[in-house]
Amino acid sequence: MAVTETSEASARRRRRRRRRRRGWSEAHVRRLFWRAGFGATPREARHWARRGKARTIRWLLHGGRAPIPRIGPPRVDGRALDPENEWGHDVLWWLDRMVRSPRPLQEKLTLFWHDHFATSEQDTPLMVAQNRMFRRHALGSFPALLRDVTSDPAMLLFLSLADSDKEAPNENYARELMELFTLGRGYTERDIREAARALTGFRADWDTDGPPRTYYDSEGHDGGSKRVLGRRGSFDWQDVLRLSVAHSAHAPFMVEKLWDYFVGAQIARGTRADLARTYRRSGHRIKPVVGRILAHPALYRNLDAPGMVKSPVVLVAGFLRAAGQSIDRDSWAWLLDGMGQYPFHPPSVAGWDWGGAWLSSNAMHVRFEAANYLMETRSLRVPEDATPPGLSPAEAVARARRAVGDPWTSARTDAELLRVARRLLTERKLPEGEWRQPIRQRADMCQRVLRQLLLCGPDAQVH
Amino acid sequence: MSRHRACDDFHRTSEAVRRDYLGGPPLTRRQVLAAGLGAGVTLYAAQAMPMPRVLEAAAADAAAAPNAPVLVSVFLPGGMDLLDTLVPMNDYGRYADLHPKLKVQGQVLAGASGLGLHPSLARGVGGGIKGLFERGKIGLLPGIDYANPDLSHFHSRHFWETGLITDRSAPGWLGRWLDRAGNRTNPLQGVSMGWGLSPLMRAGRAPVAAVASPGDAGFWIRDVWDEPFEEAMNAYGRLGHGRSRSRALNASREAARLAKQVADRLEPYRERDGYDPLASSISYPGESDFGQRLRYLAAMISKPLGIRVADVVADGDFDTHDNQAELGGLLIEVSECLSAFQADLEARGLSDRTLTLVWSEFGRRPEENGSGTDHGAGGLAWVMGDRARPGVHSDYPDLRRFDDHDNLQVTIDFRRVYSSLLEQHLGTDADAVIPGSKALGRVSLVK
Repeated sequence: MAVTETSEASARRRRRRRRRRRGWSEAHVRRLFWRAGFGATPREARHWARRGKARTIRWLLHGGRAPIPRIGPPRVDGRALDPENEWGHDVLWWLDRMVRSPRPLQEKLTLFWHDHFATSEQDTPLMVAQNRMFRRHALGSFPALLRDVTSDPAMLLFLSLADSDKEAPNENYARELMELFTLGRGYTERDIREAARALTGFRADWDTDGPPRTYYDSEGHDGGSKRVLGRRGSFDWQDVLRLSVAHSAHAPFMVEKLWDYFVGAQIARGTRADLARTYRRSGHRIKPVVGRILAHPALYRNLDAPGMVKSPVVLVAGFLRAAGQSIDRDSWAWLLDGMGQYPFHPPSVAGWDWGGAWLSSNAMHVRFEAANYLMETRSLRVPEDATPPGLSPAEAVARARRAVGDPWTSARTDAELLRVARRLLTERKLPEGEWRQPIRQRADMCQRVLRQLLLCGPDAQVH
Repeated sequence: MSRHRACDDFHRTSEAVRRDYLGGPPLTRRQVLAAGLGAGVTLYAAQAMPMPRVLEAAAADAAAAPNAPVLVSVFLPGGMDLLDTLVPMNDYGRYADLHPKLKVQGQVLAGASGLGLHPSLARGVGGGIKGLFERGKIGLLPGIDYANPDLSHFHSRHFWETGLITDRSAPGWLGRWLDRAGNRTNPLQGVSMGWGLSPLMRAGRAPVAAVASPGDAGFWIRDVWDEPFEEAMNAYGRLGHGRSRSRALNASREAARLAKQVADRLEPYRERDGYDPLASSISYPGESDFGQRLRYLAAMISKPLGIRVADVVADGDFDTHDNQAELGGLLIEVSECLSAFQADLEARGLSDRTLTLVWSEFGRRPEENGSGTDHGAGGLAWVMGDRARPGVHSDYPDLRRFDDHDNLQVTIDFRRVYSSLLEQHLGTDADAVIPGSKALGRVSLVK
């Protein structure tokens, strides 16, 4: 009897596992991990494919034990990073978090908030403090985040809210609060001007050694009556934030922006309404709505034709994570600049232009260049005579694929790689007087070429 | 993006234009930008040619029209203030009332009926912008904007970039011109100087390019040379072909193809043995990236690369909410760089066919807020070049009669300026590029 029970139990377990894994493969994991993080290593793809969709998403949302790649701490020129004093080290400091974080979704959302509440050109300590604040709130409550953003020193200075005074209210923050941060539509020019009055009272003390100190001074606040978004009252800054979040345009605006970030494809009206309901009912919390977006079938459509362009930061963090490579040089900072996404310096308060706009002919050239730098790293470098002699073209391609973390490739790329390997590795009779590199050298170069094309070809730019 | 109040060019465009360029429901700003993956990206792929033929075709284009007119767009981002840049010296008391703290003493321009330029605009080669105006090479356009101005940076910029008052996604107005008048082979016919392609230049079908540094456009692979390198680059070029149902992948393939074409076309102009074929005889402001981009552009126009339209974005932020005192510094760079560019074009013998339009997305509130000015209407643009008709070509806004939002009255529509440049400089029917352009009228900008 005992024997039967055990086999029944194990059959039940098997059935359960099969159910869990139905419609869930390594390709699904890879798609999800690119969208919700910075890619999956082959080991992560295998691990999470076995555990099923629900548990994978639960891990992304809540954290816990997982086989994240082991990568060492950053060292540039043999030293630890110095974000406040060395050019580019602030960028590397954050890039390192993306590469090594046990909470990739939290980092991905920190990047989302940096883009959403884009702040630029402020002192590094203020920017780093703001970044920590974004991370703290990454999956939390939007109203709490919005309060901390509005009173954040870097933001107060960037959008002229510091020293906006009842005598001369500055409209800069009020306008972007409605247009870019909370509503997108559904407000008037008058709402902006009245909100600007309500937002007065913040000041900056510029007579400090370090960055300016910001504070609130009710003396500078316009305590009079205002009419904002259809309501009248003697509103202050927190009232304006509350009114903006409570406005009917806010929830659809916010969930659509999150959807664009993770899914890319046009959102269906019904989906948007559904997600907006989830978001409102949760008390405007980010985690529930992101959880539903990550589970949505639209995210997994066309696994063999990825529909989103990797942003430069995602590309580079993904590169390093897949290669198991710690940050060991500052080249990544200027390469990110050349590709058009230099963190802490978004081009405007609207953040970066995502999608196809990343891929100009020039940016594509820099992406090619970035692969050259990656090819210098320990796990990807092909030293002289490192390639075993006598590999067949197919074996050479397989070896290159393994080295770069077995990424998705199109049939076109597969055929092209094989063709290059064939042409370089096949001996042929040379016409009189023609010289060819010896096979050992060609085998190394072939390996370098295959890796380079896998890292910088068109397929590598999409996820 | 909220629906614009006055009119929506979308509804006035012909069905063909709509099918070509526009589509779908109103888009948010994000979607407008994401839609850069649009139709043309894939259409071009089917017609792509092998490299030797591309080179032949491009050389043929350039050779067939060695004196073809070139239009350059220079964007001053953020919304440059009209009042402090082109100062109404003829009504200085009223101006000083509006700008009690910010007011500057403008340098009166001969032949501009009491208007004076910010002193910073006299800096640079030959007296900077002021010198160019007085030599008859600048036509000023104060009060430029569009009816019922939208005070959002992003909406206004989208309108200026597309040449359409619409919240739909659309290719840029220069890109659309290339679709009509350009070719299908040469990406350098329309070039954005910088890391990315400007939305102005985005085309439906015509290939276009971004160039950050023409001397560095070539490819290399670490520790790979000779036959393996050639095989690699041939493979990279081939990976740029083929169609997928993923628009992102198509965009990525197109980018690879264009990057390779641009590299091949610029290869002859790479610095070799200390000789830089793109060197300039004019000295540009040393520290300025903006000046550097203009220098590269002047050099590229001088080579047979077939450049017809180009765009450059100035450094600095003209969005002077709380720091308009810094406008002077920004204008020094504008004046020094643009006057060097014009001198360079003259030295290279290109100034008779190159016209530059300088613009910003809106003007600013006439009444200052203590340390700066908020978003407003009625800004300033100008046309610069040997062929520019000199003078002031629009009314200076009345400083006593504002619109319902306390902003300056708009005195000229930017699409009238576009239409006029398309016809008078590029010699193309404007209606094919700017829908409904006939109703906008024309202003004489070219002599």
